[in-house]
Amino acid sequence: MGPANFSRRNFLKAAGAVSAMAAVHGFPAELLAYERRMARFPEKTDLILLTSRPPQLETPLSYFKEMITPNEALFVRWHIANVPTSVDVNEWRLKVGGNTEKELALSLADLKKLEKVTFTAVIQCSGNGRSFFVPPVAGGEWGDGAMGNVTWTGARLRDILNSAGLKAGTVDVSFNGLDKPPLPTVPDLVKSLPVDKAMEEDLIVAYEMNGKPLTMLNGFPARLIVPGWYATYWVKSLSDITVLSKPFEGFWVKSAYRIPETDCGCVPPGTTPKKTVPINRMTTRSLIIDPSASSELTLNKPVTIMGVAFSGGRGIQDVIVSVDGGKRWEETRLGEDKGKYSWRQFFYEWRPAKPGRYALMARATDTIGESQPFEGLWNPAGYLWNKVEKTEVVVK
Amino acid sequence: MKKLIILSLMLAVAGFAYAAEKDAVHSIEIPVVKTELRAGEGMDTTEKYCSICHSLDYITMQPKFPKATWVVEVNKMIKVMGAPIPEADARVIIDYLSAQYGTGG
Repeated sequence: MGPANFSRRNFLKAAGAVSAMAAVHGFPAELLAYERRMARFPEKTDLILLTSRPPQLETPLSYFKEMITPNEALFVRWHIANVPTSVDVNEWRLKVGGNTEKELALSLADLKKLEKVTFTAVIQCSGNGRSFFVPPVAGGEWGDGAMGNVTWTGARLRDILNSAGLKAGTVDVSFNGLDKPPLPTVPDLVKSLPVDKAMEEDLIVAYEMNGKPLTMLNGFPARLIVPGWYATYWVKSLSDITVLSKPFEGFWVKSAYRIPETDCGCVPPGTTPKKTVPINRMTTRSLIIDPSASSELTLNKPVTIMGVAFSGGRGIQDVIVSVDGGKRWEETRLGEDKGKYSWRQFFYEWRPAKPGRYALMARATDTIGESQPFEGLWNPAGYLWNKVEKTEVVVK
Repeated sequence: MKKLIILSLMLAVAGFAYAAEKDAVHSIEIPVVKTELRAGEGMDTTEKYCSICHSLDYITMQPKFPKATWVVEVNKMIKVMGAPIPEADARVIIDYLSAQYGTGG
């Protein structure tokens, strides 16, 4: 049987997928225009299949019970069809040039000779939660699983740029990876950062995730890490860094991945923003992971409500929880602090004393007081989702 | 005997070098996943053009949209994302998407 008539049923078998699901945890079935499928891609475990070419795979929420998201469970998001599937590290070079004193072509060994930096940081797709937008918006219809908490190791971008030597007049730095468009007319995925952002201490070119080489689908052999900012900037399978003396004009910054230029990054639902700016820092958000939606709990039996909370790189001040749909709120206990870019687990001990349906809610606040809205903030591209979610459970 | 040892050593070194070279190449094979579009007028045209650049689950994962949204999306694919779709075929695709993946509005 050739790929041409490789049916879905056979794919599910061949790829080791466990099941096709009418509704995935956290998605009310009526919100889904189609049936979600599970798929197993190379170096990954069974993940929720959004698209296969290029691959977009979402992490099932149960993995977020763990502080660190396992490499094989981390979500995958590529933009253009020709994704890298083979890299010879003897040949691969990270080229650095443009408005620089000299040009560099760094091997993986060269990168590893630079000072090694390790930290834990949430990686989150700009469109995480897009499927919850009302009215709905087009794009990758992610639930809450286009995120993860990973320990990254790599070399400082600043050290790399300083080795090349920035010339006067530098304004932007652009980043290109090994993925290539399927047609010459399709815009290649190139991203840019203002030079001041690029030179911040905490940006790294990572060659390890959780102490192991990056998986191919997560950007082998090296990717940019911009902690606190959405993953659109975390260019995978990085191949070229170009220092620019003029503002970057590429499609993926100038036209795509933009948010309304308003305080909330939002506009009235269904309307078009007057002005937009490139998406940047992540909004503060939290999510209850356990118990999962639709769980049946036992009357008078203590249960620990557990979830994760993170911000745009400013750490988490506190997380409050409500078990009655938002009428009363209680403080939670925060778990281990692995730094301002990591997520923080929160825990609340609860003993349901009456049978019935309960709406569990969590609301996080970061260290400068930024919190989460009770109504979903809307923008046309479906970014920045951080509404206080409701997890419905039943006590019997 | 001495020759045999040298030969064995040479083979071992060659084998090691081969292994190192092989390890330097990291490769994966991405599975091909077939997505069936809903049968309807214009399905073949839609499949032909859309699948040049992406798998058809890009269509099936979308929520139901009014026709106006499908017009915007198809035009975005042509004008912004560089899809080579002639105007007459674009109209067929828009009608198909609106009929099969639309709100009816």
